[in-house]
Amino acid sequence: MTDVATVRDLEVSLVRDGVRSDVLRGIDLSVRSGEILGMVGESGSGKSVLALAMMGLLPTSAQPRVGGTVGIGDTDMVNGRPDELRAVRRNELGVIFQDPMTSLNPTMRVGAQIDESTHDSAESLRLMTAVGIADAALRFTVYPHELSGGLRQRIMAAIAVAGRPSLIIADEPTTALDVTVQAQVLDLLRELRDEFGCSVVLITHDLAVAAQIADRVAVMYAGRIAELGPTEEIIHRPTHPYTVGLLRSRLSLDTPRDRRLLTLRPETASAAERLKGCAYHSRCPLAVEQCGVEQPPLAPAAEGTAEVSSTEHVRACWRSVSDVQGYTHDTLDAPPIAAAPSSGASDATQPAVLITGLTTVFTLKGGGRRRRQVHALRGIDLSVAAGEAVSIVGESGSGKSTLLRVIAGLAPATTGRVQLAGRGAQMVFQDAGSSLTPWLTVGDILRERLRPLKLDRAATARRIGDSLEAIGLPETVSTLRPAQLSGGQRQRVALTRATIIPPSVLLCDEPTSALDASLAASVLNLIRELRSSLDMTVLFVTHDLAVARLMGDRVVVMTQGTIVESGEADAVIRHPEHEYTRSLLASVPEIGVLS
Amino acid sequence: MFRFILRRTGSAVVLLLVLSAIIFVLQAVSPGDPVKAYLGANASPEAIAAKREELGLNAPLYAQYLRFIANLLHGDLGQSFRTHRPVLTDLQSFLPATLELVLFSFVVAVLLGVLFAVSGSLRLKGGALFRGPLLLLAAAPPFLLALGGIVLFYAQLGVLPASGRGVDSSSPTGFVVLDSIITGQPDAIGLTFQHLLLPGVVLAIAPAIAIGRILRSSLDVTMSADYVRTAESKGLTPFAVLRRHVVRNSIGPGLSMAGLQLGFMFAGVVVVEQIFSWPGIGNYLAGSIPVSDFPAIAGVTLVLGTVYIVTNAVVDILQVAADPRLAA
Repeated sequence: MTDVATVRDLEVSLVRDGVRSDVLRGIDLSVRSGEILGMVGESGSGKSVLALAMMGLLPTSAQPRVGGTVGIGDTDMVNGRPDELRAVRRNELGVIFQDPMTSLNPTMRVGAQIDESTHDSAESLRLMTAVGIADAALRFTVYPHELSGGLRQRIMAAIAVAGRPSLIIADEPTTALDVTVQAQVLDLLRELRDEFGCSVVLITHDLAVAAQIADRVAVMYAGRIAELGPTEEIIHRPTHPYTVGLLRSRLSLDTPRDRRLLTLRPETASAAERLKGCAYHSRCPLAVEQCGVEQPPLAPAAEGTAEVSSTEHVRACWRSVSDVQGYTHDTLDAPPIAAAPSSGASDATQPAVLITGLTTVFTLKGGGRRRRQVHALRGIDLSVAAGEAVSIVGESGSGKSTLLRVIAGLAPATTGRVQLAGRGAQMVFQDAGSSLTPWLTVGDILRERLRPLKLDRAATARRIGDSLEAIGLPETVSTLRPAQLSGGQRQRVALTRATIIPPSVLLCDEPTSALDASLAASVLNLIRELRSSLDMTVLFVTHDLAVARLMGDRVVVMTQGTIVESGEADAVIRHPEHEYTRSLLASVPEIGVLS
Repeated sequence: MFRFILRRTGSAVVLLLVLSAIIFVLQAVSPGDPVKAYLGANASPEAIAAKREELGLNAPLYAQYLRFIANLLHGDLGQSFRTHRPVLTDLQSFLPATLELVLFSFVVAVLLGVLFAVSGSLRLKGGALFRGPLLLLAAAPPFLLALGGIVLFYAQLGVLPASGRGVDSSSPTGFVVLDSIITGQPDAIGLTFQHLLLPGVVLAIAPAIAIGRILRSSLDVTMSADYVRTAESKGLTPFAVLRRHVVRNSIGPGLSMAGLQLGFMFAGVVVVEQIFSWPGIGNYLAGSIPVSDFPAIAGVTLVLGTVYIVTNAVVDILQVAADPRLAA
């Protein structure tokens, strides 16, 4: 079998925010003809930079320095002439990016955008049909904003397969899409491979997504490959502690609800220390002295075999395979979380949140046509007992975020009413980065919340220090600005802001969907602990059924502005009543229970 | 799209009516008796009373406004107290000179602005040598630029004239450069263009920077957009990427700024016309204000306001044409 792409010793350093850092540190990789290769890693692992380097499209504004080679056909994408690289991109490569909304030109009809690659409208129409777009002729002349997310990603796929490429690079093609659409796009990628005979590099942060369609999986960590092998092997017999950690911290529909979620250890090593030895050593429960000083090479996982086979499983770790796999079978039990206050006990008292007959209608002003009305909420009745945790699940456009915003008083109720008991509600948003004022320090942000209490300076400082400590942040962060914090730290600050004066009701709008799996798990742990320690009612909005089941005593399923199902969390997941809940459940990517 | 044009035109008409009402009210409440201004300080009370009746100034205010509008629609803007000619006739003789100056200047501004934006955004070599001096010039107020220009190019170097249009304004259309091109007089083209050059460039500098900076930042944003990366991944040449994907998506803010600046330029022309003795409406206005020649002031204001409103309507329509999402 021939290789369609060969990456040798690839090193890339980029300048970000004025600091040059090594993003890829020696990648060796071959993409075989006709295979789907999953590239898995958390944000910052370098997987997207690898994709850009393979296309020869590293952003010049980041002043890239590149070493090594990327061979596609006869062309070296690192050192080739610009016109050679363009020829390869035209003839050999197809690309699907993360967000089809921003990746398609908004002012150009989609047909014309496909034509740019095919130079033939008849061929473009044929491709649109091939990627599963019904009524291709009708859709040919629309603009991207007139299509749904799934259709847009199919347009991207049609562009990608134009010109019969030998390799399609798909960079997080499903991340910006709803779960039901996600499953369709993954199916589409597999069909494209089968029908057009091309190889696919599927880049994703979610091991389960890769596991669904990839033949081989490469796990990346800090700019290097940690482990690479057939999907079955990686999922069921991982040999690198990081892969093991990823698999164990992944949330599934079977994750025990009454225990703390497993998380990877937080990073404690400095950037320089990480570069010296194995980059994972400070987080690795199995690290030995050697791990901190010497970088492990990528070597066959099967001990004693040296020959190269097509199903080779390679790993970069100093510890032996049996040590790592021995650890896998250890200590699956996690400590239980503090018992949540029983929600049944307070039935007699007034509910914390009482919503009756709530509708919300937004009027959109059109430039050309008449005003359009969007019915975001169509008659919601919901009662949440004090101390109860309720998860609200739905896809984008279901009205779940609007419901939360109405409860918080951030959006208007058209009819119906919302009653809140006690000390009011506080909200935590999805993107902590943009929900914290960038020019205020963490201390300023928290002081602002404390102002109504009229505490003196010392008491305020004490209160801020205590709250930060309770949430797992050192007191020193109070002098930093949000941009100086990591994504997980920012979300913790947002949580501190919401709980420094404990509200009766904590409203969470997808607080973890922008975070890596392990960080997300730690934030979820934190919210659950805060709920019991501060005696709060929690309303948790998410698109992820596994998260909904873990965070709520009760799960409420929403679609098109109405509640279609509501019940005890496990009951809804195990025995869904409504058609829509079932279709959601069927779309959740699962990798099965880890043995 | 068609509905949008219709709506936008409708709102422009409403704006024009509001503008006319404002002008009328200003005229009505302004101190100074127009009749005295018209007849002179020594007119007899009887003559004044008769003239008041004749001008309809004794009628109630709303009736006066209706008459004002009716006259407007017939092209009657009243008589100038100063020149004793109909304001419309005055405008007809002064407006072409201003239009020629401002439109020429606007073209210069857009060219300089685009050059400023593109040289900056594409990091063209030597671009800073062009942008630096331009920024420096834009920091000076127009009258200073005008005086500096006259001192340098007229008094010192003697290469450009300092005043007037070079020929008599009473040419067939009033657009003297155009006339000399139509009638095929190379000498006249050179002469009139020379006269146009200095005031035109002086008027263009500040708008050029405004347009250039806005355009540059939207170019920068567009160049780093995901769909530009998609276009690059198709293997298109850099020029094709620029032409097909960048220009249309980054033109919007530049368009609105250009429209805004065109409006400002009609207002800013007053100073420049005075310094260069340019026989346009700016000069006409400058002569009318000190003597409270209200019909003339109202006429010029109406023309400037109309230009402003029409320009903005055109810009809005162009923006929707460039970005289909705005029409949704």
